[in-house]
Amino acid sequence: MLKRLLVVLGVVVVCAFAFGIYAWRPAIAPIQPAPASSFSAEQIARGAQLASAGYCETCHTAKGGEPYAGGYAMDTQFGTIYSTNITPDVDTGIGSWSEPAFRRAMHEGVARDGSHLFPAFPYDHFSKLSDDDVAALYAYFMTRKPVHAEAPRNTIPFPLNIRLLQAGWKLLFFHPGRYQPQAERSAQWNRGAYLAEGVSHCGACHTPRNALGAERHDQAYAGAAIDHWIAPPLNGSNPSPVAWDTDALVAYLSTGVTRYHGTVAGPMAAVTRGLSKLPADDVRAIATYFADLDGAATRSGDTPAILAKALQLSAIGSGPTADPAARLYATACASCHYNSGEQVQPLRPELSLTSAVHLDDPTNLIQVILFGIDAPDGAPGVVMPAFGRGFSDADVAQIAAYLRATRTDQAAWPDLEKKVAQVRATAQQQD
Amino acid sequence: MSRVRALAEAGHPLSRRRFLVTMAGSALAFGFPRLADAAMNPAMPGNTPMPATAPELSPDLWFSIDADGVIRVNIIRAEMGQHVGTALARILADELEADWSQVRIIHVDTDPKWGLMVTGGSWSVWQTFPVFSRAGAAGRIALIEAGAKLMGVAPAHCTARSGHVIAGGRSLSYGEIVRRGGALRSFSADELDKLPIKPVAERRLIGQPADALDIARKVDGTGLYGIDAKVPGMVYARPRLPPTRNGSKVVSVDDSAARKVKGYIRSLVIDDPSQTVPGWVLAIAQSYPAAMRAADLLKIEWQAGEAADLSEQQLQEHARGLVDRSDGGVRLDVGSDETASAFDAAASTLDQVYTTATVLHFQLEPLNALAFEKDGVMEVHTGNQWQSLVLPTLAKALGRPESAIVMRTYLLGGGFGRRLNGDYAVPAVLAAKALGKPVKLVLTREDDARFDSVRSPSVQRVRMAFDAKGEVQAMEHHACAGWPTKVMASPLLAKGLDGRYDPFAISGADHWYDVGRQLVRAIPNELANTGFRPGWLRSVGPGWTNWALESFMDEAALHLKQDPVAFRLKLLDGKGRNAGSAPNAVGGALRQAEVVRRAAQRAGWGSPLPKDTGLGIATSFGQERDMPTWGACVARVHVDRKSGAVTVEKLTVVVDAGTIVDPDGALAQTQGAVLWGLSMALHEGTAFANGLVRDVNLDTYTPLRIADVPVLDIHFVDSQQVPVGLGEPGTTIVAPAIGNAIFAAVGARLRDLPITSASVRNALSA
Amino acid sequence: MTNFTINGRAVTSEADGETPLLWVIRDDVGLTGTKFGCGIGMCGACTVHVGGRATRSCITPLAAVSGADITTIEGLDPHADHPVQRAWRELQVPQCGYCQSGQIMQTVALLKDFPNPTDADIDAVMTGSLCRCMTYVRIREAIKKAAAAMAAADHGAQA
Repeated sequence: MLKRLLVVLGVVVVCAFAFGIYAWRPAIAPIQPAPASSFSAEQIARGAQLASAGYCETCHTAKGGEPYAGGYAMDTQFGTIYSTNITPDVDTGIGSWSEPAFRRAMHEGVARDGSHLFPAFPYDHFSKLSDDDVAALYAYFMTRKPVHAEAPRNTIPFPLNIRLLQAGWKLLFFHPGRYQPQAERSAQWNRGAYLAEGVSHCGACHTPRNALGAERHDQAYAGAAIDHWIAPPLNGSNPSPVAWDTDALVAYLSTGVTRYHGTVAGPMAAVTRGLSKLPADDVRAIATYFADLDGAATRSGDTPAILAKALQLSAIGSGPTADPAARLYATACASCHYNSGEQVQPLRPELSLTSAVHLDDPTNLIQVILFGIDAPDGAPGVVMPAFGRGFSDADVAQIAAYLRATRTDQAAWPDLEKKVAQVRATAQQQD
Repeated sequence: MSRVRALAEAGHPLSRRRFLVTMAGSALAFGFPRLADAAMNPAMPGNTPMPATAPELSPDLWFSIDADGVIRVNIIRAEMGQHVGTALARILADELEADWSQVRIIHVDTDPKWGLMVTGGSWSVWQTFPVFSRAGAAGRIALIEAGAKLMGVAPAHCTARSGHVIAGGRSLSYGEIVRRGGALRSFSADELDKLPIKPVAERRLIGQPADALDIARKVDGTGLYGIDAKVPGMVYARPRLPPTRNGSKVVSVDDSAARKVKGYIRSLVIDDPSQTVPGWVLAIAQSYPAAMRAADLLKIEWQAGEAADLSEQQLQEHARGLVDRSDGGVRLDVGSDETASAFDAAASTLDQVYTTATVLHFQLEPLNALAFEKDGVMEVHTGNQWQSLVLPTLAKALGRPESAIVMRTYLLGGGFGRRLNGDYAVPAVLAAKALGKPVKLVLTREDDARFDSVRSPSVQRVRMAFDAKGEVQAMEHHACAGWPTKVMASPLLAKGLDGRYDPFAISGADHWYDVGRQLVRAIPNELANTGFRPGWLRSVGPGWTNWALESFMDEAALHLKQDPVAFRLKLLDGKGRNAGSAPNAVGGALRQAEVVRRAAQRAGWGSPLPKDTGLGIATSFGQERDMPTWGACVARVHVDRKSGAVTVEKLTVVVDAGTIVDPDGALAQTQGAVLWGLSMALHEGTAFANGLVRDVNLDTYTPLRIADVPVLDIHFVDSQQVPVGLGEPGTTIVAPAIGNAIFAAVGARLRDLPITSASVRNALSA
Repeated sequence: MTNFTINGRAVTSEADGETPLLWVIRDDVGLTGTKFGCGIGMCGACTVHVGGRATRSCITPLAAVSGADITTIEGLDPHADHPVQRAWRELQVPQCGYCQSGQIMQTVALLKDFPNPTDADIDAVMTGSLCRCMTYVRIREAIKKAAAAMAAADHGAQA
């Protein structure tokens, strides 16, 4: 008995030792920050584009803080992780990181000192970036203004906070390696896939994750909850009545506005802002990739019929009515969202076409009703006001239920009022 | 004249007698130059009156002329959408033979010389017409005399026209007369009273279309409303309202959370000797948004008043109990009120009960007032409909004479009777006094609704006795509701057969139908009078009495198997006490019969209609038998039997309001009044719950919107009779016309206002 | 600190980002033509244009208009002579007038999207604007009159 126990213990120790060897990464020696003159202007400019297309600033900047100085809080199911300072500050940033150290972080998720990074940093996507693009990003960051800023400590509990264990996570879920072009696809498609899968890490939000927080590749782009919003499916299960074709995606990704899909909102607003710095060809390449992914080509023929129906639906509730829900919609929403005539108007987002009303989860619709859309987000310079200031949870639930019932054929959302209260409470905590 | 009689008999400071004396007395001041005591000119940017070009002549209290010939007409009425200044100024300018382009209107402050200041009851034109006509005529005579003297001709050879005194080929403008030092003679009160008013044929402004002088500033954003008033150094206040309108006491205030709001200054418990706003706590801040947020964050413990669990059901049940008893309340003097024998002898009788729910004013500009001390006078800058009523209350609250308080008038963002009750000025002046600095108090919409002096819920019982031939022998109308006049202006209570009653809670029930013996009984709902502060709301009593009366008339016609129009016409026979009298009610019930006839004809009464569609008629004489405005409405409705939804397709309205001073304004007022009636019939109504109203904002309180507007056909009877009010009479004929039309369409009888889809469904399945 | 332009003028507001835009416009910028009615975005009295779109300023946080162009009733036309204002005067639309700034701003936005609006278009877009005096009959007439005037002016400009 004892012998068997010793054997088991022995195996555990050996395994642990082996895992230790597997998991261990050496530190890469610190350097004096390279002078700005050691990077070409062209390289820096390219790095700027890539940094924008990767929205690095969004996650690496605290609310009201200096750009790239870190400290942005990310709520995960495991605790709060604060982003790090990626300015070239030697003490608190990445000033002492050599290009190989930076590349290792991007491609392998390992910090300069050898510690494993949490996958909140999407190295599983950045691993696909070419060495040239990583070098350009390095050039860009090393030429930013250094900011001395220590990120707050993460609140990941023991033992999950043991960085060495991240190696186990990688063993299970991480597939390092550069992007491999698919020969049967066009160059444009491959370019789009490279950007989307790599620097723009679209799947980080739009692909569901498993219990340990890894993207489920069997359900790539099937939609997921993220940051108290729903990132809608980008594959064939996308619920938008009008298929997302290349032109719609281009408009959405570069201007934030589309005729049949409303405007960007929530965390997606930063994506549009980020992609807007990419050359137009690159945005079109990403659009080409996703238009293929959601099967737009096979569905786009339905558009005239869907549009005709949408224009019919748009008139519902905007005439005289005694129905309290319809009156609430007519007085609060219709003045901006009603459409008529032959075509819906892009700045009058048609609610019978927008994904927020069609998703299985009402979160996005509730978010937008409660908190609106600021001028820098969505359609630039235009605002949706925040109805949550005056509306009760019951009012918001009533409008959401009304839209669901009159604008879609889908099942009613359950427990709406509770859901509204939940979204409202979560947002108030964040403030 | 029940209302005015009550005033005069009461010898109250608000009495009409004093009002008339003040106006007449002012005529003695003829000929003295005077600077305009201007408060507000709605036609000027920022409403600021332009300075006069000296010298200036003020032939009487009501207008002045300066050297440029600009005529400033002083208006004591509040501008709340009726373009009252324009209508009144045209009366004066017509007699004065003024050049209309030179006429300006000034809404004055509360100097006692103006006498009673109240705007309501659609009385403005009716009351002002004789006064302003004579003031204008006197001015014209004085100017002709002065002009004749300057030209060296006899006054008899002069005429006045378009702002000039004309003698043969020569003329002098009014401005020149002033410039050249022409002196205007004065008139005694007696002389003034004897001045003839122009024959109708010579009217040049009255009855002609004119642009209202206040409109330009209402489309460019420069008109100033009470909420726009500001002075340097003012702080903002928003109240937290106590759990009951009356009797609440503040136990403790914890402002620790409010203190975190940037700009928050302090909380203030209002100590109100006038007991107008017991239990009020204000959040004081540097900005209004800060005051709004801070008020929400105050933790306040109250000892609630007695009505803390008051509900609509309690109010209605209490009223129902009272209308079913034969004693209590006050009987009106309507002739022979011994009805019992007629009911005993009747071949058949009809007996029905009608109710109306609580209604909010919801004037769009939330209540507000700016108050500050200046040179020993407390200035109150706000929009108000009845300055004379609130001044004594402000004096009591502040413990100072009325002479040390002045109210300055601004445009009103809606009145509808809410601002007859100036209670909202009280916390503002008390806060200004307590803080020693200017305080701008603004209620949020929710505060405004909770603090509203709502239209009380009502319960009415109407009975009729018929003989074997189907002739009406007797009628009884018992109406129970809150009595605003008892609560806020008791000197105005009218004298009935067995006590004093609120004329504004029963008028309309004393109708012009010939029904034989008649009993009209007004019953106060004391649960309403003490539980909240019932208010006067556009069209007041007839808002509910006419609902009961005109619904009942249809039911009576049905009972007798007679056509509802024919039945009414038969009873509007103009006999006996319904014959009418000069000057205001010439023609009596026959004029009411005429509007009924015309409305029915215009609406195609009797012609075939599609399925589930019906026409219903209702009529009204306005508010008071003393100042009747005759109106009739035919509603055409479609009812969806399944959902119970009522669609009002068309309202045909015929109104006889005597002479129409301002035709377009009259149409505007009637359009608004009719749609108010529609709104209250189908879209409004709330309920008391736990001491306060349940619906406090537009998410659940749902007044009529543009999409709900049916086709309107509004027609005025061409008349040269005395001009009477227009702002309210259109309101009360709509609901019963709709109720009657629903019955005509689908046979469902509705007896409760508002009419809802659910109540229609219930009535259909009954 | 929030920067935006109002009626073509650059403005910086120090007010808290959560402050409703309405009060910044009325009390800080000092343009009082925009009115406070319900505070929950359901009466339309506070309607201004943000980026040319009709927007309920009472529920729009100041922070939301960062960098935006705002137009109020005072900035609609330098001589208060926008075709919509003209139609409003010609048909004597206002009664108490309190909602009319909002009605006019909403109408201008309506005519931008629907230059020749049907009654259904007017119902749908204008139902959010409450007129408690119930001047709706004239509002509808004035909208059509302004639409016709603007179409004629357009036509004239093209000819």
